[in-house]
Amino acid sequence: MNLFNIPHNELLQHLLNGLTLGAIYSLIALGYTMVYGILKFINFAHGEILMLGAYAGYYVYYLICDPSQGGSFVIFAFIISLLTAMVISASLGVFIERVAYRPLRKAPRLAPLLSAIGVSIILMNLAALFFGTKSRKFDYPIDNTTIQLDGTSITPNQIMILAVGLIMMTALKLFIDKSRLGKAMRATSQNQSVAALMGINVNFIISLTFAIGSALAAVAGIMMSLEFKLYPTMGQMAGLKAFIAAVVGGIGNISGAMLGGILLGLLETFGVVILGIPQGLKDTIAFSVLIIILLVKPSGLLIKNIREKV
Amino acid sequence: MKKLLSVLISLMLLFALACGKESDVVKSGETIKIGFLGPMTGDAGNYGKLMSQAVKVAVEEFNAAGGAEGFNAEVLVEDTEGKVEKANPAIEKLAGVDKVFGIVGSVFSSVSLAVAPKAEASKIVMISPSSTHKDLPEKGKFIFRDVMSDALQAIVFGKYLAKVENVKTVAILYIKNDYSQGLAMDFKAQFEKEGGKVVAVETALQGDKDFKTQLTKIKGANPEAIYFPNYVAEIAQMLEQSKQLGIKAKFYSADGFSNPQILELAGDLANGVIYTQAAEQPTSQKRKDFEAKYLAKWGEKPDAFSLNAYDGALIMLNAIKATSSKAMGGNLKIDRDKVRDFVAKTKDYDGASGKITFTANGDLVANIGIYTAENRKFKQLKMFKLDGENLVEIK
Repeated sequence: MNLFNIPHNELLQHLLNGLTLGAIYSLIALGYTMVYGILKFINFAHGEILMLGAYAGYYVYYLICDPSQGGSFVIFAFIISLLTAMVISASLGVFIERVAYRPLRKAPRLAPLLSAIGVSIILMNLAALFFGTKSRKFDYPIDNTTIQLDGTSITPNQIMILAVGLIMMTALKLFIDKSRLGKAMRATSQNQSVAALMGINVNFIISLTFAIGSALAAVAGIMMSLEFKLYPTMGQMAGLKAFIAAVVGGIGNISGAMLGGILLGLLETFGVVILGIPQGLKDTIAFSVLIIILLVKPSGLLIKNIREKV
Repeated sequence: MKKLLSVLISLMLLFALACGKESDVVKSGETIKIGFLGPMTGDAGNYGKLMSQAVKVAVEEFNAAGGAEGFNAEVLVEDTEGKVEKANPAIEKLAGVDKVFGIVGSVFSSVSLAVAPKAEASKIVMISPSSTHKDLPEKGKFIFRDVMSDALQAIVFGKYLAKVENVKTVAILYIKNDYSQGLAMDFKAQFEKEGGKVVAVETALQGDKDFKTQLTKIKGANPEAIYFPNYVAEIAQMLEQSKQLGIKAKFYSADGFSNPQILELAGDLANGVIYTQAAEQPTSQKRKDFEAKYLAKWGEKPDAFSLNAYDGALIMLNAIKATSSKAMGGNLKIDRDKVRDFVAKTKDYDGASGKITFTANGDLVANIGIYTAENRKFKQLKMFKLDGENLVEIK
């Protein structure tokens, strides 16, 4: 027993549950934060890009293999479908930016926001129309037998989510900090007109930002479908939570989004377990955190004006 | 001015009265409208889809048999998404604009409880095929259901678990909606009365997909059995995550489990889950005919609630047929009170779901079956009825 009067293995289990949830939130939050960093606007259609990415992955996956058969080909098929989903989502993100946001770039800031909400509703309903509204099962590519460690359980899929999340986030961080394109992104986020004067193709950089953010969303979408099934409204709540995560970490800040996501996942889990917040109020935790952060530290936990903001 | 106003008001009153009369008449060449109210989209869309298809089969059958005095019936399907806020405008439309004579629905208890007062006020016979909340029939004279009450289901199940399966400790994980909460609370009270112990009660919200926090807490309480009185989208997640957390308890559920989608979503995890549902009556020719017709028309099999929806639709259509009469100008006159009284008198109606009899307040007289899922199929294990306080097995 410990401080909270909960057995150690149970506490560890909650920690694992919270981390997996948090890793998914973080991956989604990155897309919000990258777009905000550059355009100072919140892409509310991000959750739907995630959902469509997941559907794209689903169809490719089931087109090239029968996952119930198992075997190494299924893993190969899964990787192919993951990559295809990333490409499709990325193109979709770029397309949406081109059609719905770019024409409004000089408009008052409310306009692109409303346009984003419109896009979100359109995509969600189109998905419901074409794919149907029932939940679908996304079969695991790997044998998902639970691993038991001293009363604590972890599934291979959870490990995969944590690993993929970590790899994606590190890769993104390195890309933004070290590469030339990353540098251009940072410059664009600081001052678009000066960046343009320095010879940076601002439109290209913005498209690239949408492409990367959307590709990450596709990965998060597929991870979510594995754990929580696939359905047209899956991006809605996840998108909202990820948006909160981005704000908590300091919107516009890459490390902040990662931190915010993990923190939110843990808070949702431990808020219930330790603080004894009724389970029915689980979603309330996330929104209360948003309100508290906006009241106390509106710039987010990690101060925004450090260099790496994108 | 005042005079003009009073004339206007009395004219409006007259008009309103005339309209009121008008609503009970189907003009020559028009159809007798009934409504279906249920989730057609969203997580629970499959329930509504299957049931509305059953109502359409019933209407087709009714029309093929000549309708009422040659008037054909028509069903108007309104989507509730399983949500009260969507159901309110839907019932307003059915009652106010379409002026339907009966409603098959709603599907979820929360929604049925919310729309019942409007149906009652507009004198629309409402027969719910699937809302099992114990309070529903008390909502009014016009409110019926041909599905068994949760109170009965939960009481029988509490007794069954304690006495027949000899389970001592149970944990409950339910979704905060009227259906699940009602079942969970009634079951808990009954199980404790029988000497059982409920070691953990956890809740979640409709639409949640992640139940690991609750299940981890339940695992810590180490119950012999877990009761999931929810709908299939959630049960599938709960079964899967219980397995992932290495929970060894036995799983139990209620009639929400009977939607075949569970077999697809949960796969082999559905095997061995035991649940209650209205007892299956000997498969009648009527049921076989309906199932064959349904399969031929829609290319899929009906679920248990669809049988109820089909029966409910025919009960109300037959009542309309029996009580309506030709009026002047080739119109059809339908008296809403008479329709209601005819439906209320239903006794041993030979339906696809079995014999249907309504109690005085519009509830269904039912026996309870104990079912399980096995190799991707549902199977009835035992059948019980409540004789006063005693659980009696029907052989």
